[in-house]
Amino acid sequence: MRTQMLAIKIFAPIALLFIMSTMLHAQKEITLLNVSYDPTRELYQEYNAAFAKHWKEKTGELVTIRQSHGGSSKQARAVIDGLQADVVTLALAYDIDAIYEQAKLLPQDWQKRLPHNSAPYTSTLALLVRKGNPKKIKDWDDLIRPGISVITPNPKTSGVARWNYLAAWGYALKQNNGDQQKAKEFIAQIYKNVPVLDSGARGATTTFVERGIGDVLINWENELLLIRKLNPEKYEIIVPSLSILAEPTVTLVDKVVDKRKTRAVAQAYLEYLYSEAGQEIAAKHFYRAHSPAVVAKYAAQFPQINLFNIDEVFGGWQKAQKTHFADGGVFDQIYLNK
Amino acid sequence: MKTHQLLARSTTLLLFFNLAIALHAQTRSGVDSTFQQRLEEIDQKQRILERKWELQQEEAAVKAKDTPALVAGKDGFALKSSDGRFQLKLRGYAQTDGRFYLADDEKRLVNTFLLRRVRPIFEGTFDKNFDYYLMLDFGGGTTVVQDAYVDFHYWPQARLRLGKLKEPFGIERLQSGANLLFIERGLPNNLVPNRDIGVQFHGEVAKGAITYALGAFNGVADGGSADSDAGDEKDYVARLFLLPFKNSKAVALQGLGLGIAVSTGAHIGSATSPSLPAFRTPAQQTYFSYRADGSAANTTIASGKRQRFSPQGYYYAGAFGLFGEYVRSQQEVTRGSTTAELRNEAWQMAGSFMLTGHKLSYRGVALPKPFEPKDGNWGAFELATRYGKIEIDDAAFPIFADPAKAAQEATAWSLGLNWYLNRNVKFTVDYEQTEFKGGAGTGNRAAEKVIFSRLQISY
Repeated sequence: MRTQMLAIKIFAPIALLFIMSTMLHAQKEITLLNVSYDPTRELYQEYNAAFAKHWKEKTGELVTIRQSHGGSSKQARAVIDGLQADVVTLALAYDIDAIYEQAKLLPQDWQKRLPHNSAPYTSTLALLVRKGNPKKIKDWDDLIRPGISVITPNPKTSGVARWNYLAAWGYALKQNNGDQQKAKEFIAQIYKNVPVLDSGARGATTTFVERGIGDVLINWENELLLIRKLNPEKYEIIVPSLSILAEPTVTLVDKVVDKRKTRAVAQAYLEYLYSEAGQEIAAKHFYRAHSPAVVAKYAAQFPQINLFNIDEVFGGWQKAQKTHFADGGVFDQIYLNK
Repeated sequence: MKTHQLLARSTTLLLFFNLAIALHAQTRSGVDSTFQQRLEEIDQKQRILERKWELQQEEAAVKAKDTPALVAGKDGFALKSSDGRFQLKLRGYAQTDGRFYLADDEKRLVNTFLLRRVRPIFEGTFDKNFDYYLMLDFGGGTTVVQDAYVDFHYWPQARLRLGKLKEPFGIERLQSGANLLFIERGLPNNLVPNRDIGVQFHGEVAKGAITYALGAFNGVADGGSADSDAGDEKDYVARLFLLPFKNSKAVALQGLGLGIAVSTGAHIGSATSPSLPAFRTPAQQTYFSYRADGSAANTTIASGKRQRFSPQGYYYAGAFGLFGEYVRSQQEVTRGSTTAELRNEAWQMAGSFMLTGHKLSYRGVALPKPFEPKDGNWGAFELATRYGKIEIDDAAFPIFADPAKAAQEATAWSLGLNWYLNRNVKFTVDYEQTEFKGGAGTGNRAAEKVIFSRLQISY
């Protein structure tokens, strides 16, 4: 028995030191992973630094936010497959719905948890052409002309590609008094003019800008404004007569934040997007803000566009996805018969 | 023809075609708009082909990144998840031995070939931070789980290992059975605990200059292994090993290691399960055992405290290697109404030299070139020698052990030659002579003179 007491005396302090070092290690570092879509790299680089500073001032805690970017649907797939995202900031609500449906990592009504349907900023789709607009492209119907080369990513993997598709479809419906068949033919003609399908928005930008392919790029307004800012002498933005209101959405991944005990900081991270500071950063990176003050301040950089939303024309994302982008859907029928 | 080859050739053809058209266009007096338009179309087609090829490459790279890897090579076979967090390695070794006894005119011992160890090893990682290790042994026609443990190693300085494993005590015992200098371990291993079930807290600090291990185990008799425990008392083991010059500029001393191991515990045996060891020669012949006939009156049993102590060390410098250890084991024993604390001691020194100049270390030989006689590569040859002794406490005789059957001392010396054909194949021949004090009805037990041979395959 004396031997055991001696052993306990030796081992107990060591075990205590071990536990204390574990606790200290756990306290000294908070990290979040934001899994986002392709063109938000620059936005979140600046936003993350601002939030870390804000959080330090508010709580005294250090927080580091890691970013992951890619095609929106591919990113959602990665989270479903186990990527430990504390928050997702994806291109469309449908991709976040998929995280609920396939992995139950968040609640079904996730979109009601934050203002504006959990879309802290919005955007739309526009067209980018080369300087001087040599192919005289002015609206969606110019994209179906023979000899026009259109760059847009793959709707199977890219969020913006689906927005592009739906914007063009909405335009065709309006031009043809709601005739779905004519809209389908219109979209089929556009995709006949698409020479290469990238997996995401940034890849499509690379194809158009760096590889010099195509006459027109359909992409996020924010992405096009960024390209034009960096290359004002090379490109022009064409604002179509009608486009779609794109609402990139954000949410906590509940099971991950609860497991990692990061719910409070992750929640604050998303809420800060709605603050004046967060809205200002979004507008600086060419996303359309909700804050009236920020909207007024940045009004000059956003052209006036007639917008429709996905609910009124397509009955929401679930229906649009099933009809157009599911396996065997309209896009497959169009593209596989190209 | 593969797609990328086709694309590459098409691109080259288009380039030549472009050039031809451009030259043709230049010969004209002005830039013809039709030619210019055609040129641009061809340029676009070329760019599209290149971009498609680029995207295919990117897609292939992503797929390769997500595909689990199957690896086969000199270190065995492994299956790894694409992110490296999950792994399964298949390793193992097999030893075919020969034992031939010299000066055994009475034919007491049997010359034999045997499968000494046949050990498949399954090891790997669960989710990056948890290693697992399972080693089975089919040697000698039996099936034994030699090792089965999980090692949590989030911090290399503080790791936690649970399961069945070697107790952190003897320097030679802790060497893998595949890396031994001689075919059989030396006499001190009779006093060293072998494999046991328990928990071990261990790690490396100061860039590997200090290694430590603290463990709590069921407790085994000297030289023993066990899969269960018959009593509540446990053994506590601690080992500290220092390589004081490992990270210094004193190259000649970098291979100097010194350590100490202690264990303490208590065990109570019974007439049917005395919890006491029998000691064997390197040829696995028993030369010492305590009295036991199954009756309480005539069986010596463990009856209390058991403590061990072992200073140990090694020195490796280039082709030269030396290691030694001293082991003292104290055990309270009882026979009938007589109780005593017996102190048995053993030590050994072993040295070796690589005749072919290869570098030696505690973990084995660095072998840069495999056996390929046509290229003049015959592998590596190592000459080894060892001297060791074990002394049983005088107080063990005659009450606790029968002096007519149990030797009071054994002294062994060995010479060996190891031939490493490559990293996987090793051939060894040893001569070992062991002499005894006592252990016979009159005088000393006859000396044991044995030639061992071993062919070892490991992967």
